[in-house]
Amino acid sequence: MATSTPIDFKKVAIDVVVAALMALIVFGPIVGVVLDGYSFNLQPSRVAWMVLAVMVGRGVLSVFLQTPRGAAMLHGLESGGAGVHVRQPDYKSRLRWIIPLLIVVALVFPVFASKYLLVVVIGGLIYVLLGLGLNIVVGLAGLLDLGYVAFYAIGAYGLALGYQYLGLGFWSAIPLAAIAAALAGCILGFPVLRMHGDYLAIVTLGFGEIIRLVLNNWLDFTGGPNGVPVPSPTFLGLEFGRRAKDGGVPIHEFFGFEYNANAKFIFLYAVLFLIVLLVLYVKHRLTRMPVGRAWEALREDEIACRAMGLNHVLVKLSAFTLGASTAGIAGVFFASYQGFVNPTSFTFFESALILAIVVLGGMGSTVGVVIAAFVLSTAPELLRSFADYRVLLFGMLMVLMMIWRPRGLIRVSRTGVALRKGVAP
Amino acid sequence: MMDGIFLQQMINGLTLGSVYGLIAIGYTMVYGIIGMINFAHGDVYMVSCYLAAIGLAVLSYFGLESFPFLILGTLIFTIVVTAVYGLVIERVAYKPLRNSTRLAPLISAIGISLILQNYVQIAQGSRQQGVPTLLEGGWRFDFAKGFVQISFTKLFIIIAAFVGMAVLTYIIKYTKLGRMCRATQQDRKMASILGINTDRVISYVFIIGAAMAALAGVLVTMNYGTFDFYAGFIIGIKAFTAAVLGGIGSLPGAMLGGLILGVAESQFSGLVNSDYKDVFSFGLLVLILIFRPQGLLGRPLVTKV
Amino acid sequence: MSQTFYKKGFLALAVTAALGTTGLAQADLKIGVAGPMTGANATFGQQYMKGAQAAADAINAAGGVNGDTIVLVPGDDACEPKQAVAVANKLVDQDKVVGVVGHFCSSSTIPASEVYADAGVIAITPGSTNPTVTERGLTAMLRMCGRDDQQGIVAGDYIVDILKAKKVAVINDKDTYGKGLADATSAQLTKRGVKPILEEGLTRGEKDFSALVTKIRASGAEVVFFGGLHPEAGPLVRQLREQGLKDVKFVSDDGIVTDDFVTTAGGAQFVDGVYMTFGADPRLLPGSKTVVDEFRKSGYEPEGYTLYAYASVQALAAGFAGAKSTKGEDAAKWLKAHSVNTVMGEKSWDSKGDLKVSDYVMYQWDAAGKYKQLDKQK
Repeated sequence: MATSTPIDFKKVAIDVVVAALMALIVFGPIVGVVLDGYSFNLQPSRVAWMVLAVMVGRGVLSVFLQTPRGAAMLHGLESGGAGVHVRQPDYKSRLRWIIPLLIVVALVFPVFASKYLLVVVIGGLIYVLLGLGLNIVVGLAGLLDLGYVAFYAIGAYGLALGYQYLGLGFWSAIPLAAIAAALAGCILGFPVLRMHGDYLAIVTLGFGEIIRLVLNNWLDFTGGPNGVPVPSPTFLGLEFGRRAKDGGVPIHEFFGFEYNANAKFIFLYAVLFLIVLLVLYVKHRLTRMPVGRAWEALREDEIACRAMGLNHVLVKLSAFTLGASTAGIAGVFFASYQGFVNPTSFTFFESALILAIVVLGGMGSTVGVVIAAFVLSTAPELLRSFADYRVLLFGMLMVLMMIWRPRGLIRVSRTGVALRKGVAP
Repeated sequence: MMDGIFLQQMINGLTLGSVYGLIAIGYTMVYGIIGMINFAHGDVYMVSCYLAAIGLAVLSYFGLESFPFLILGTLIFTIVVTAVYGLVIERVAYKPLRNSTRLAPLISAIGISLILQNYVQIAQGSRQQGVPTLLEGGWRFDFAKGFVQISFTKLFIIIAAFVGMAVLTYIIKYTKLGRMCRATQQDRKMASILGINTDRVISYVFIIGAAMAALAGVLVTMNYGTFDFYAGFIIGIKAFTAAVLGGIGSLPGAMLGGLILGVAESQFSGLVNSDYKDVFSFGLLVLILIFRPQGLLGRPLVTKV
Repeated sequence: MSQTFYKKGFLALAVTAALGTTGLAQADLKIGVAGPMTGANATFGQQYMKGAQAAADAINAAGGVNGDTIVLVPGDDACEPKQAVAVANKLVDQDKVVGVVGHFCSSSTIPASEVYADAGVIAITPGSTNPTVTERGLTAMLRMCGRDDQQGIVAGDYIVDILKAKKVAVINDKDTYGKGLADATSAQLTKRGVKPILEEGLTRGEKDFSALVTKIRASGAEVVFFGGLHPEAGPLVRQLREQGLKDVKFVSDDGIVTDDFVTTAGGAQFVDGVYMTFGADPRLLPGSKTVVDEFRKSGYEPEGYTLYAYASVQALAAGFAGAKSTKGEDAAKWLKAHSVNTVMGEKSWDSKGDLKVSDYVMYQWDAAGKYKQLDKQK
């Protein structure tokens, strides 16, 4: 129907004028009048440019939306779309080929990567781990957790404080941090998970802030804002530094090769990559087990599930704890990657970023979460050349990606089951 | 023990609480109508602080000296422009996501919050900004055990906040616009069947929320005299806490939640330790939600099958 | 699913393209300037950049270092440790800097300096005053500013000796800098027999401190020491005065050394009489006059850490020139053995990398919103 309609230029003109007026009101005072102490400077030319940009943008958008493609896009936005997409029963995912390929690429990568690239990718992998953990809580079980960063902090501080007070190392910290974070998840989750979803969001937000504030204020134990140094990871008791710090032996002296500043990061990368693969596998299996099915069922309709006799608190608690322990592991990696932890790394913004990864990736979709984690965690680094505009562009990226793909990058899809012939439908 | 210090802390708490309450209205109304946590609301408040300072600077540049006119002019200017901000943000970032998952607008709001902070930083510079003290002095009440001091700006904040609340309550309760808002809040589909343009009502709600944040922005700018592009973050989280405490979706709840939070913070830091005052307020929130999940004045959520 | 593959492939391409092509092929002497260029502390990052750029321009105009021209590479850490590590790696690995001026927040400087130490790159921080920065045995980590514990001693002594206070409230902003300084001050006060009667923290980013002020009022303190920065110091002193505490003396630190302090306090009438510790104002030194005039001519007031960053670049240049090498260790060794004439006067470093002479003195603000150094009256 929309194909034959000619473009209505009167409507475009009205759109442009309205947009210009709005832009003038919005940008005029903030961009045009720059405060300077108690007086101000006028900068009208900046406003003129911005209004002009908005007018052009609005004009182009307005024309585009009247073309058939634009109308289709608008329609796509207005219709909701179902949650899970069902594929043909005999569908074979191309992932079979892509996953081994990716693993090979990932294995070869550290040999060629520069240290900076390695550091950025490790940062990305940490967010992949966080995204996967939160994906279990938000994406699969449908529990909105706004304080996820608390468990991440427990993991990171678990290593730092464990080293300081108990002499724990990197390896022993990984399982212990996972257990500690899971315990914290249990303690918080048990009373809270009876609540309706939205209140859960607020309580977790409060919990996240409480953990951060306590870490910041309990000076005697956590070092407060000064933070805590974290030991470098070791491999079979060998250190990766140029010189041995804690009485150990540097690995390059032991094996007699040239000191390589990348060694610590290559090691971290390798372990982290293995853990990510493990978590991916566990998540893949879990979604096919009764408990995974229960999470998704509970997300779709809680009342129906309870009527069917599911213990909703226990099912929710299992998802919540599992997610928390993943964050705990991610925290250990974060702490050893940074070599230092302090509470500024665990603000509410961090929780929001991880949530953005899950939502942007497509709730419940593993591949989507992995991609989104890389996009969102490397974007601030990629945007570095824009200097001051870096975070502004990052914000715009978030909004635009959300509008472009409101249901996430990857739709969750599941292979259908073919009915055998001869069975009554 | 009604000594001077206790009373003074009450006054401190009420002032702070009125500001929380005003900002909480924006959260609570938006949540009530589309079930979305508008994380950019704190930053809309921050923009209104800048607008208030710009309004004051420009108006006094044109020779407006008398305090009532200066304040009135600034208020009108700030509220109008901030309301347009609310409207534009809703149109650009939330409306396209109206029919998608409930979390999509939440992420988009986080993006908007980043955009607003950095846009203001780039446009206005990263310096601390401020306004000169307009209204100096206050009343001092001496009595046997100490004294209580109320500066005129504090009094002005409490009065203005209550007037603002009263006007808003009147609008929601007795006008056509208010009826439309309430109808949309109760059942959006039904309201639109009955001929209410719900998209427009949602826009109105964003405008009202932004206007209330603007009122708070003007008052805070007057009282504390200083702000920066980061100012919306902490106060936003606090106001949101207040909205939940009072029962999200409920207007009087937002105000009550704000006042309780303000007083609790002040009394706790006065009597115990200001280091842990935020821990105390969040702890209070968690406790109240565990025992009364719908908040103090909220209606419990009942799902019918 | 093929769509996914393309997207992933494209992403990988974009990552390599963006991360891999910034390096310049020239033999410039690259110096990183790292600090918070965005975020809540962006003011200080901008000051770093202005100061460092002016110093680099001046040195290049005079023939550069060993014939090489200095090229500055900005690095934004937003005062987040996570970003500090990333940007430190970017600077040493991709931009191949030979020296770094930075960072600002001690919590960024500490993890970043480990990266620099690993890469053998010298770093001078113009503004991180936390003692830990130079207490970790790193050989090429130097400081252009004092340490919190030195500053705290000056403040503590002044409160006891000159202000003769018996009741002191010590307030901090619960951040690395303010907390460290407040602790150092209260340690010195306790040592001198004046134990603080109130030690509390406020939250950065908040503006309402009236509850805290009322508590100070209840405690009957004669002097309030505040460890923190001007965004909180301004409202705090104003609210003290507004609650009728006109006679309580307010002492703070070099975090309030900016004209914005007057703005945040709501007018010069509120800052009148405020004391602060600060390294002798570099803008008033005879040696800095021409540089300061240059800045002012271009319409910029070199306040805060601008000249500290300027001097840091000068020190790095002197180190490289003196050691005839761009190796961090050599330059650091040379700097620790010699003294350098900078815009902030003659500077020399001890074996840890701290300045040998800390020149913290007391300043006082007046009713016109300006500050001047107080006479030493020991």
